[in-house]
Amino acid sequence: MQFLYSGITSGSIYALVAIGFNIIYNTTGLINFAQGEFVVLGGMLMYTTLTMFGLNIFSAFLITFILMFLVGILFERVFLRYVRLKTEINLITVTIALAIILRGIAMMIWGRDSLAVPSYVEEKTVLLVGGSITSQSLVVIVVCFFTAIVLSTFFKYTKYGKAFRACHDDQVASTICGIDVNLIRMLSFAIASFLGALAGAIVAPITFVTYTDGVMSGLKGFSAAILGGLGSFWGGLFGGFLLGVIEGFFAFILPSGFKDAFAFIILLLILFVKPSGLFGKKKAVRV
Amino acid sequence: MLKVTSLTVRYGSIVALKNVSVHIKKGEFVALIGSNGAGKTTLLNAIYGLVVSEGDVVFKNNNLSKVASHKRIEMGLSLVPEGRRVFPNMTVFENLELGGFKKDKQFINKKIDEVVNLFPVLKERFRQLAGMLSGGEQQMLAIARALISDPELLLMDEPSMGLAPMVIKEVYEKLSILKKNGLTIFLVEQNAMAALKYADRGYVLENGKIVLQGKSNELINDNEIKRAYLGKEYKEKWER
Ligand SMILES: Nc1ncnc2c1ncn2[C@@H]1O[C@H](COP(=O)(O)OP(=O)(O)OP(=O)(O)O)[C@@H](O)[C@H]1O
Ligand SMILES: [Mg+2]
Repeated sequence: MQFLYSGITSGSIYALVAIGFNIIYNTTGLINFAQGEFVVLGGMLMYTTLTMFGLNIFSAFLITFILMFLVGILFERVFLRYVRLKTEINLITVTIALAIILRGIAMMIWGRDSLAVPSYVEEKTVLLVGGSITSQSLVVIVVCFFTAIVLSTFFKYTKYGKAFRACHDDQVASTICGIDVNLIRMLSFAIASFLGALAGAIVAPITFVTYTDGVMSGLKGFSAAILGGLGSFWGGLFGGFLLGVIEGFFAFILPSGFKDAFAFIILLLILFVKPSGLFGKKKAVRV
Repeated sequence: MLKVTSLTVRYGSIVALKNVSVHIKKGEFVALIGSNGAGKTTLLNAIYGLVVSEGDVVFKNNNLSKVASHKRIEMGLSLVPEGRRVFPNMTVFENLELGGFKKDKQFINKKIDEVVNLFPVLKERFRQLAGMLSGGEQQMLAIARALISDPELLLMDEPSMGLAPMVIKEVYEKLSILKKNGLTIFLVEQNAMAALKYADRGYVLENGKIVLQGKSNELINDNEIKRAYLGKEYKEKWER
């Protein structure tokens, strides 16, 4: 059972990253390969605000999230907007380039060492059936669920949430209805950046944060998104948990060095066997 | 109400519209007819700002050249696009709500009540995904969605496309009712017969140029039109 608890914890992180991938994919058709870098920046900013500037937790989170929201906006407004020929392949290449640039910047600012972010809650271990879970892991899981519920409510019921879904369905029709499609694209980057940072911030006290972490977080989140079905909100959430649990299980029975390989084995299996993912919904056909 | 002057649209080296001028007065129902590739969709898209054009589009004395596409609905324009373009993964009700994206909730609900009176089929399907509707129902939904913003001028792109004759008639009957209620309508059609039967006035577009214009009943009786758009020859070609 222990693998289940640790799997759900890392799965929560994958899920948040996967949902970030999906939001951008749904409104722009792009895979944002800098998604993992957002996670690192989230952790790094928490370190900076908490440890270096000694701010309280609340201000630290607030500053981190505001900055990362702006990073997402900047990312879309400045870098993607000015690509001359906006083919998907060109824009995706830009996200890869930006990932590498962000990684370089992170190294220059924060160095090569692993940075320790202090725990946000009193460290306790909760005993559960067949295992135990730390209070820090609980924070991660609760935040992930809470975020998923808030986001899904936003998409389902609010005016702007509906505009996001409309842009996913048909951008020309959205424009005709008066929706500013460019604004929605920009906001989807801002939300994805925020989600990445949120994941990075809540996991930092457990895993610490190193400038190279983004590669793994990004690829794991991407695998989770593919596993659940690219573009599917609940698929991303479930894909994240499933990936975390499977990984946890194999780490339990195999040497832990193999752990990271499993995400990619699953990724390959899905691509071979069911490319639409477990929950990849078939789009309603247009007559 | 709408005055389009010397509109030219290029797609790379292709000139899709050459110096096209049309004008529509308040309360009129004007049809523009033309065959495949004549430039009908291009004209409507240019009026709505969806393609780049040279020339002037003036709506209610405002030059629209500086108005972004997504802002044109606020000026009182509304477009029922080619191929209907309903939001397939959203419900009928949500589609209607989005038609009033720039309006407040109360206004939207009032308008939705109004349009479902005109299109009762939609009411039974509020919770269904729009992608699951039949072609005719999707056309009704597209029109209804365009009406939620309470436009002064409704632009329509081939409402008859892909519909059975019975359904085409139904759609045009609804448009007549809307016109009677004071809506100004500009529609482009390949199906000249249907359009000219209901419209007050018409234009004929060929290869990106206006070649003929006049009252609908005059156009219907014009020999050139008969040959090109209404004749047996044409029909056979179209059906093949
Ligand atoms: N995006 C585009 N790029 C290049 N050429 C285009 C584009 N859209 C339209 N065209 C060309 O412009 C011309 C006019 O096209 P348009 O779609 O306006 O015609 P239409 O009258 O609406 O035809 P249909 O009855 O088939 O809908 C055609 O020759 C078409 O091939
Ligand atoms: Mg057309």
